[in-house]
Amino acid sequence: MKNKKLIGMTLAATVALSSVSCNRDKFLDTNTTPNNPTAVTMPVLLTSTIINTAFMATNDLGRTGALLTQQYAGIANQPATYDVYILRGSFDNQWNFELYGGTLINSQTLIDLSVTKSSPAYGGIAKLLKAYNYAVVTDLYGDVPYSQALQGNANLHPRYDKQEDIYKGNSGLGIVGLIDLVKDGLADLDKPSLSKPGAADDPVYGKFANNVAQWKKMGNTLLLKLANTISKKEPALAAAIINQYAAGAITTNAEDFDILFGSATGNQNPLYNYNFVTRPDDQMLSQTLLTAMATRNDPRLPLYFNTTPGPPANNTATTTTVGTFTGYINGNNAPVPSRVAGNRSRYNTYIRGTSGEAPARLLTNAQRLFILAEAALKLPGITVAGTAQSFYQAAIRASMIKAGVADADVTAYFAANPGEANLSTNTDTALEQIITQKWISWVGTGLEPYNDYRRTTYPRLAPALNASGDDLNIPQRFPYPLSELNANVGAENQNANIRTSVPVWWAN
Amino acid sequence: MKKILLMSLMLMFTLLHGALAQTRTVSGRVTDQKTGEGLPGVTVLVKATTNGISTNANGSFSLTVPESGATLVFSSVGMATQERAVGSESVINVVLAQDTRELSEVVVTALGIEKDTRSLGYSTQQIKAEQISQKSEPNVLSSLQGKVAGVNITTASGLPGASTNINIRGITSLQNTNQPLFVVDGIPISNDLDRSLGGAGLGSLGAAQTSNRALDIDPETIASINILKGPAAAALYGSRAAAGAVIITTKNGSSANKKLEVTATSSFNVQNVYGLARLQSDYGQGSNGVITTTGGLGDIYTANSAASFGPRFGTAPTLANGLQLTDGSLLPYQSYPDNIKNFYRQGTIFTNGVNIAGGNADQNATLSVNNTKQDGITKNSDLNRTNVLLGANIKLINKLRVGGSVNFVQTDQTGILQGNGGSAFAILSNRVSRSLNLQGNPYIDPVTNANIYFPGVENPYFSITQNPTTSSLTRFINVGNLSYDVLPWLRVDYRAGLDTYTDRRKQIFAIGSQRQPTGQVQDQVFYRSEFNSDLIVTAKKDNIFLDGLNASLLVGQNVNQRRFQTIASQADNLTLPGYYNAANGSVFSNGTGESNSLRRILGVYSQLTLGYNNYLFLELTGRADQSTTLPTANRTFFYPSATASFVFTDAFKISSDIFSYGKLRANASKVGRDADPYLLKTTYNSASQGNNVSSINFPFTTANGTYPGFAISSIIGSSTLTPEFTKSYEVGTNLGFFNNRLSFDVTYFYTRSENQILPVTVAASTGFNARIANVGRLDNKGFEGLMNITPVKTSAFRWDITANFTRIKNEVVSIDEGVTSASINGSAFIGSVPSFKVGQPYGVIIGNALPRVPATDPTTGRANDPSLVGKYIINPATGTFDTGISNSVIANPNPLWSGGLTNTFNYRGIELSFLVDAKYGGELLSFTNASLKSTGNLYETGIDRDQSRIIPGVIRNADGTFRPNNIQIDAQTYWGASGGLQSQLNVYDATAYRLREVSLGYSLPTGLLEHTPFGQVRVSVSGRNLYYYAPNANFDPDQNTQGAGNIRGLEVQGAPNTRNYGVNLRFTL
Repeated sequence: MKNKKLIGMTLAATVALSSVSCNRDKFLDTNTTPNNPTAVTMPVLLTSTIINTAFMATNDLGRTGALLTQQYAGIANQPATYDVYILRGSFDNQWNFELYGGTLINSQTLIDLSVTKSSPAYGGIAKLLKAYNYAVVTDLYGDVPYSQALQGNANLHPRYDKQEDIYKGNSGLGIVGLIDLVKDGLADLDKPSLSKPGAADDPVYGKFANNVAQWKKMGNTLLLKLANTISKKEPALAAAIINQYAAGAITTNAEDFDILFGSATGNQNPLYNYNFVTRPDDQMLSQTLLTAMATRNDPRLPLYFNTTPGPPANNTATTTTVGTFTGYINGNNAPVPSRVAGNRSRYNTYIRGTSGEAPARLLTNAQRLFILAEAALKLPGITVAGTAQSFYQAAIRASMIKAGVADADVTAYFAANPGEANLSTNTDTALEQIITQKWISWVGTGLEPYNDYRRTTYPRLAPALNASGDDLNIPQRFPYPLSELNANVGAENQNANIRTSVPVWWAN
Repeated sequence: MKKILLMSLMLMFTLLHGALAQTRTVSGRVTDQKTGEGLPGVTVLVKATTNGISTNANGSFSLTVPESGATLVFSSVGMATQERAVGSESVINVVLAQDTRELSEVVVTALGIEKDTRSLGYSTQQIKAEQISQKSEPNVLSSLQGKVAGVNITTASGLPGASTNINIRGITSLQNTNQPLFVVDGIPISNDLDRSLGGAGLGSLGAAQTSNRALDIDPETIASINILKGPAAAALYGSRAAAGAVIITTKNGSSANKKLEVTATSSFNVQNVYGLARLQSDYGQGSNGVITTTGGLGDIYTANSAASFGPRFGTAPTLANGLQLTDGSLLPYQSYPDNIKNFYRQGTIFTNGVNIAGGNADQNATLSVNNTKQDGITKNSDLNRTNVLLGANIKLINKLRVGGSVNFVQTDQTGILQGNGGSAFAILSNRVSRSLNLQGNPYIDPVTNANIYFPGVENPYFSITQNPTTSSLTRFINVGNLSYDVLPWLRVDYRAGLDTYTDRRKQIFAIGSQRQPTGQVQDQVFYRSEFNSDLIVTAKKDNIFLDGLNASLLVGQNVNQRRFQTIASQADNLTLPGYYNAANGSVFSNGTGESNSLRRILGVYSQLTLGYNNYLFLELTGRADQSTTLPTANRTFFYPSATASFVFTDAFKISSDIFSYGKLRANASKVGRDADPYLLKTTYNSASQGNNVSSINFPFTTANGTYPGFAISSIIGSSTLTPEFTKSYEVGTNLGFFNNRLSFDVTYFYTRSENQILPVTVAASTGFNARIANVGRLDNKGFEGLMNITPVKTSAFRWDITANFTRIKNEVVSIDEGVTSASINGSAFIGSVPSFKVGQPYGVIIGNALPRVPATDPTTGRANDPSLVGKYIINPATGTFDTGISNSVIANPNPLWSGGLTNTFNYRGIELSFLVDAKYGGELLSFTNASLKSTGNLYETGIDRDQSRIIPGVIRNADGTFRPNNIQIDAQTYWGASGGLQSQLNVYDATAYRLREVSLGYSLPTGLLEHTPFGQVRVSVSGRNLYYYAPNANFDPDQNTQGAGNIRGLEVQGAPNTRNYGVNLRFTL
């Protein structure tokens, strides 16, 4: 009897205890994650956004740009598919994780955080990065979610803004364009800032005493790039921007917007990681670029690519004045030269680093000079001092020096190759010279020459052999990723089935 | 409320217990009608009380009964219950006969409550020990294949410990687990699958297959398994049993008697691969009919092609094909017809165990030790599992019952990498030509330890010998319980259990391996711990309100806590070959980290059972949970169920030998489910980017410095989550004919799962990839049926047939506004994404469909010639298929129906049993077949190799009309076109019929053993997967490389299935 009472009391007490409300709340309030931070600082967002921009530009998208402009050739797996223009159903990861869910949302997050931290220095840089990355998206895809994008739950079905509006803005639709976004970022960089990035969190310009001033040069150069991209459609606007911002742009190779990679696993440039570690048999030098550089006796050729044995061991090799190289015709089905025997020319250390540390080169002094050369040649009302010829040569010189050619050797090259050093008096031929040289200067950065090609049709490229895809021509745009279309069905302005043969607005 | 109720119950028993009555003692013996021997463990109860006792080892009992008017009830599982009024006798001997009405057996239902099946308003199916013991299968889940209606079980492969997917009554959750809850002796245990990293983020697509943890339960320790199929059956378990529950009862000593106290079992089985695709043996290495070695004469591995599109064997030239090795020797150009088959070895499975059990229903103890040692079909695929189970139950003199068990499990597993990303299985299908002497060539350089094979490709032998995954798991499942009959009508039970394990994993990649060329050591520790306790008060009253109405009310409280932790360290860039310690690495920032979770549920529940005259039953349950994973305002939720059972043959007194038993049942229920932990807020994480082909991680070190990097999570948290609910309705009937020698159990069910908590896909342009929300609806409806027939039953011979049938129709009704399709969480290859799509069944694979002529032209809107609609569109430039139609459903993994048929014959101690099962319909995308086609290895690719061919289809003219395709292409182009990994042409109908299980056993006659120490001796032979017939697949399609989980229908180059057979011995002392 006593026992029973005891047991009964104990049980009752157990129940009572577990029902005491304050204890119960404590028992139940365990849902704060120990696995992830719920708040972050500006520096960690800045570094990740910068480095992820470099990854985005040198990974799949950059790789594909290099294939489509025939700098490189795909010989197996996805690159072989992209090389014959089968792009549909690919690049979801790039859109989803590298751009919108990567550099774009994080630059936006940094912009928002910088406001609460009264630090426009961070916000300004974030705006420049956001503009750079958005330019990549719209240049590849045309009309894309922009002004209503990056709002999370607040707008689950963002409208597709017209590319024209994305560049120029449209106050009627509440769209602040990329050009104004960059200007806004530049203005932020002039404002007093509670904290500023420095050596510890600025992987690009942190090494400069006044890194914010360097970012302004980056912003000005970015404006030149944007103006150049829309110059066919908007020559007057482009000229005005170039006139205003050329002086503030990058003026030496040392100021280039180059983002360094590291040499350790997990920190390497995708051009190395992909081509030399994980997928060494997917790509090699394109015969198109090889021929173009060979006929120009270009001293950058052995800096960009490794030499190979020639015949008879390697019958498809090309002998040039700067060494023997082996390329592959884009889209070809012929047997691929042996890698083990060293019969393929692939990226050399300038492009990929000895173990992946080579930077992503995103905005350069050479690029500025090529833009100015093109503007001087083509755009009305350019007031920047200098001729197309002088900018053209300076651009080639900047590119060659950057790749490791000695200054004196550049001079000697110009002397020995007058046809290449001097622009034709025919404007179209001169433009072809400028863009072809620009294409050569961009080896390793695939996105920019793809923009130039679509805008100017230079360099002259024949479609890949065995071309397939939407039609048999070099794609004028990328098809929208399925995951975006599936989750944003029938968004305003969306043209879900647009074919890759339709040029984007600025190329039309 | 609950507190008040309990207090008043306490109060009542203290007040009421004062009344005492006059008593006396009766004793007697219960014997078996068949054998005449004493029957131990028979429950002897004074009717309408809880006063009772069990018979001892020789069947005797002694019990205190009221002075007059008592009736004794004798019951035992499998025996017909008998009642005897106690007159003036003091000795009562009873003979019990086997229950011919086996339809009313006692089964263990939710929370360990034993119930007579006749009272159940829902469908359950009980599996007995002998159905899973000694059946050539060490994994208890796999051993259930084909035996249970409504349950679909698919193993990943035939590798030891391969994970096993089990879905009961279809898929009810879009992104949460659809695996049932596993309960051992009343305690929920983990059946989680902790996936290894597998290097380079390949996850389930490339890591070695690790087990879901039901593997840790040794089939030999199991007394019975009861499968609670629907939410109604499992309602008291609450949220976790929304996908059903598997209730496992382990053996205890309650029914042992002399000569049965020690049971020893021993089995030896061999394991062989089967179901490999047939290969051609006429053509060897090369491309377009020649072998090209671009470097001139060179070795086989520098040839440009590893495919088998070379010259025909025996045609000249045979030795001038460039097959001169770098050492100058010539390699004969010949077929190695078994170079794939011989890659596999014969596996072996040894199981040995001893089970010592003694006692009676009141006092018993058991000790069981079992070991399973399996060497699988390849090197480094091994399993070694040891279980030690110690349990005891005692009824104390003061009537308090205490019991408990400690189950120790040590499972060591070695596994090999699989998947498309360069695993041995992928290389076997895409880089082993028919003329390659795979077994005769070295695979590792004896000096440098480097891989020897085609450039950038890992030799399959290198892969399995140099890059193994090991797992060493130590697990304890501890259960303790107390119960007390406070009053004849009031009982209190308390049960607490702890299931905890630590799994230490190591994955190594040798320097020079294909996936991790610089070498890698991954160490990972998984820790899980689940505490569960239930306090249950049960009150019973017979003849309440009216005669024949029996009521039972149960009130309980549950505390559940689950902890999880995984710690991983990854060392890259190893310095010394062969030294696999993190200290050998030089980069540690990739994949290193920790993840924890803690979740708790407090639940209260109640169950009211009413039975009227033992033919009409009504059961109402309700449970309210408080979960830590939901927002505070929404964390308490309630869900009810109601079930009814009506034995109309008894109600209407239909007593016929032809129609012997009839029962109707119905139920409606609702089950709530909480969220996973930590979904309420948007967090930040490492800003790492990329996939297996290129990636970057933070902290990021360059020549300028080291930079940490964080990024906002790609998933938007939700602070407004509410629990998700599954509603289910079920009707069914149990019918028995010819004294129940023919019986049916048929069920129709409908479940609707709504407002599911899931990371629902959002357009990436929002800046995110998913948001946590309550969205979506998934419906399942289906039939399941079970039939038992005993066509022949004589004293010497008995033939039993058991058949089951399942048909489930599943439909994704909605996802979210503006979202028509989303991918299932997990790893997938772009181009063949397991998805849920509105209007489709769950789990369809979405990819690029082959282009076909549509009914109307999309650009012109004009109707196409109906005779051409559906024909393939051919690319005029290549003669192969035009660009595929993306975003198409290319495979549906859901079978249309499945069934199993077991025949058991018993003749004087000889028992022959065989199980035939069938899965009809369902589709599987086979990467292995795709590779075998495009490499020219598959048998079909060797037929008419030299003939050109034309793909049947049409070519689009410039004006939008079509002309028949007339472009001739060669065999290599043809097979290349249909060999695309994700091509629809590699989707196979997974229909398969198989002889799943056979066993032939002989039990020595008891008479023969009378003067020996043995009680029973049984020898048997058994086999699994002895034969299969898959009419539309050239391999065994009953597999799912990714194992347990929501992704199904992908064969992404894992191990094949195996055929097991062997001998078994069981004897008792």
